Amino acid sequence: MKRLKKFSFSLVLGILTLAFFCTGAWAEEVTIGFTGPLSGPGSGYGRDNANGLEMAVKDINKAGGITIDGTNYTFNLKTYDDMIDPTAAVNNARRLRARDGARVIFNPVFNTIAPLMEINEQPGSKFLMMAYSSTPKIDELDNELTASIPPPFTAYVRAFADIAWEKGWRKCGMLVTLGAYGDEWRHAWKHHWESLGGEITADKPANYYTETDYSAQLSAVLATNPDFLLIGGPSEPTGLVIEQARNLGFEGGFVLVDQAKMDYIADVVFDGDLSLMNDVVGIAQVLDVPTPAVKDFNKRYEEKFGVHNTFEAMLNYSALNIVFDAMKEAGTVTDPAAIKAAMPEVLPQSAENVPTPYLGILETKLLVPATTGVIKDGEYAEAYQYLWWPEDEDAFEKYKKMAPSGIETRWLPLEGYTTD
Amino acid sequence: MELFLQQLFNGIMFGSTYAIVALGLTLVMGILNIPNFAHGHLYMLGGYCLFFFAGTLGLGYWAGMVLSVAALGLVGVLMEKFVYRPLNDQPHINAFIAAVGSLLFLESFALVVWGPQGLRIPNPHPQAIELLGITMSVQRLLVIIGAIVLIAGLHLFMKKTIAGATIEAVAQNREGAMLTGINVNRVSAMTFAISTGTAAVAASLISPIFMLSPSMGAILGMKAFVIVILGGMGSVPGAILGGYLLGLIEALGGGYISAAYKDVFAFAALILILSIKPTGLFGKREV
Amino acid sequence: MFTKPIHTKLLYLVILAAALLLPWYVPDAYIFQIVTMSVIFAISTSGMNLILGYTGQVTLAHGAFFGIGAYGVAIMTKAGISFWLALPASALISAFIGLLIGLPTLRTRGAYFAIVTLCFGVIVWIVSGNWIELTGGHNGIFGIPRPSAIPVPFFGEITFFTQTGMYYLSLAFLLIVLFALHRLVYSVFGLTFMAVRNNEPLADSVGINTFTTKLVSFVAGNFIAGIAGGLYAAIIGAVSPTAAGYMMTFNFLIFVILGGMATLSGPVVGAFAIPIIMEFMQFLEDFRMLIFGALLILVIIYFPMGLVGGLRRLNEKVVAWRQRKTTESGHASS
Repeated sequence: MKRLKKFSFSLVLGILTLAFFCTGAWAEEVTIGFTGPLSGPGSGYGRDNANGLEMAVKDINKAGGITIDGTNYTFNLKTYDDMIDPTAAVNNARRLRARDGARVIFNPVFNTIAPLMEINEQPGSKFLMMAYSSTPKIDELDNELTASIPPPFTAYVRAFADIAWEKGWRKCGMLVTLGAYGDEWRHAWKHHWESLGGEITADKPANYYTETDYSAQLSAVLATNPDFLLIGGPSEPTGLVIEQARNLGFEGGFVLVDQAKMDYIADVVFDGDLSLMNDVVGIAQVLDVPTPAVKDFNKRYEEKFGVHNTFEAMLNYSALNIVFDAMKEAGTVTDPAAIKAAMPEVLPQSAENVPTPYLGILETKLLVPATTGVIKDGEYAEAYQYLWWPEDEDAFEKYKKMAPSGIETRWLPLEGYTTD
Repeated sequence: MELFLQQLFNGIMFGSTYAIVALGLTLVMGILNIPNFAHGHLYMLGGYCLFFFAGTLGLGYWAGMVLSVAALGLVGVLMEKFVYRPLNDQPHINAFIAAVGSLLFLESFALVVWGPQGLRIPNPHPQAIELLGITMSVQRLLVIIGAIVLIAGLHLFMKKTIAGATIEAVAQNREGAMLTGINVNRVSAMTFAISTGTAAVAASLISPIFMLSPSMGAILGMKAFVIVILGGMGSVPGAILGGYLLGLIEALGGGYISAAYKDVFAFAALILILSIKPTGLFGKREV
Repeated sequence: MFTKPIHTKLLYLVILAAALLLPWYVPDAYIFQIVTMSVIFAISTSGMNLILGYTGQVTLAHGAFFGIGAYGVAIMTKAGISFWLALPASALISAFIGLLIGLPTLRTRGAYFAIVTLCFGVIVWIVSGNWIELTGGHNGIFGIPRPSAIPVPFFGEITFFTQTGMYYLSLAFLLIVLFALHRLVYSVFGLTFMAVRNNEPLADSVGINTFTTKLVSFVAGNFIAGIAGGLYAAIIGAVSPTAAGYMMTFNFLIFVILGGMATLSGPVVGAFAIPIIMEFMQFLEDFRMLIFGALLILVIIYFPMGLVGGLRRLNEKVVAWRQRKTTESGHASS
């Protein structure tokens, strides 16, 4: 009798355990890592990146996480501050990998991405490096476990030059930020603009991170009578450059490097007033992205964080969703190589689900159109999306069908991808 | 020619800010012997205080400026009493470490309270006037005039009032001043309050043109340090002259030679000058 | 003065054994990383201590010389030169630039010297960000090759691809530097350093060439900074202007002062304790630097001699108390 009781007890226990496994009530939490500047210069930018990730994690958990082989996984985001210091970034990545178990780590600055790419392929502590950096230099480091999130800045160089040329602008004065990114931008722009037949009348960089007065450089640049100015760095100081240039009597156009966002400048620096920003060419305002998901995202984002929505947030959001899908596809949340390998299978993304859908992946580069816009007569106008990766007409047509529709799609062949 | 005049104007405006900030710093460095490396961050705090009083509370620009100066004066008194006074008898390098601690504290304080995004103070005088073919905005002119008024006022205070005379006495001979019955601690607090107050004036004058960010004081503080050393520690005319000089060097060097290396000119000039004259242009012989 | 009590020696032996055996008990790659970086910072900080602690010259260019060493190794190894040649060469370049800068600037004193060196540091920082042909600009130099393997007869070879290899490499240099500094500061020549620090005019009047003394100390300290920088480049694998920035200098300064100036162990303690405290404070998130700043002020007010200085003072008090007790009990028994 006693034996029977014991037997039935263990039987029930066994069935229960089995049921537990089968119904997917078995839940685990997966950590997504982020290290970036959360204090000091660049912290606004770092937070935009992290906010996008936080939204993605929140949304996937609300949708119940992902299920692989009957196991349900939810996610949490761990963020650490590295102040763009390589030592701190490597420490953070080690911590994320060893302590928090993160197999996917995001970082938004090339200076810290490069050292992380030295350690992400070490046996026993591999992780997938999700690099938010638009420099083609990432390709110089031969690294399998890396995916770059934004379009290369060279795509914007071509796209903006395209638009500026159409407008009949020829003489360009440059006042771009100093720093790794600005230096590359200046170099690539100068090369490209001159190869089109345009003229660079002056090149006076300024440090947008440490300075707030650009009158010395502006006076020098404006004295050369340019048709338009190539300016930009972080958005807020870029707004100051526009204001100071207009105050000095400049009436021409502006091209903003891709770090500066025109809608952010208009809303934050000029309180929504577009009167000083006529003829500004740059990345489109976020609401001009022609996807159904963008309006809802924009609203929820600004409610949740109380700051202006940016492309950094949207691209990180979309990129992390690729990771979720790829984990599901690969059937693992722990093997970075398998997750990376599964990415082509889950692309293109649907414009219903993410604000900036990715259309494919080429080696380390996640492919997303470069969306541009112009401010004209006090309104946002002329938004285009440029496909920068197709090598021929057929490929362009193929990707054009995948891309969200609603604005003009243009083909922009980037021979060799790098800066000529 | 017009370009040159424009650059000259820019240089003088910048020099005005440098001069006021350096003036405040030379007081605490020369008179109290405190290497207050956090001075630039106090300037930053002054800007945020203006934002708080003028923007958040909506009291208007001039009232905001007065309140910001008062608030920073108070911060100066507290800082002198709780951070630097306990370190009086210790080597200077310890006070320097305390200054680094203070600047880290102030910067992250601004970050926590006001966030990393740049903040704008509405420009109270957005008009611009044309003169001799160059464009000057009224607020920029105000910076230049404000600096002159402040310098003149401070000079009168030091020379014509008893409070000013006690500061000079302490600067010349600390023990002697103590023997004649001057309360040295009170004078120290007062000097510090004047120093931080002037930083707030500088920030209030210039921040409507610019944008506030938590790290805006770092480079300015370092430049003020350079100016003070260049002019000779504790030398008021040295600080003023050094400030205007640096402003002009930067505007002309940045406009005409190389914008990327414009800071190098100023710092290299300092190394050169101190190699020739080890105690600065107007410095006393030995410290 | 020159000999230490037995139990101190024993303590050092235990620490040495613990350091040598670390890879066997270190819990994870994260702690290992922090420890390895601390070893490198300890080397550099020890160099700064020679100039600042023993010779009394407040140098604020130490980060710059660290950066020169780092860029030296990065540039040379990328050009195909072996790390083992590039490291001493970079350290020599650091020392040589230190000589060039020391010659004019060591004529200044006190705060003036501090500011002149700070200016030099800022110049190196700006130049490293803008001299694109040499330094790669603000992107810096990345993909720096690891040190080549050392062949060991009958054993195989020592490689430097793992954390363990990197750790032992840094530790070996730290021990060499500490040994050399120990020999130096307890020699007669080392006493002249301290004589200059304690009273420069007096040292001058007793026949010490104070300028040469200061210069030797400055050059030697920067040589050590160059070694540390070179190791940093090889271990992090990428060098950017941050490596030469003034925040690097301030970090070293904080390590020296809070660890304890003019003691050999102080800078090492500082270089280990402070990064670990900083890592521990990560949970404070936005408030981390706020609290660290306040902590820095409090510690410098209440422990002006640093951690090691504070411990020594405590130790002296205990000894004095014991002696008083023994004499008292001696009196009682007689």
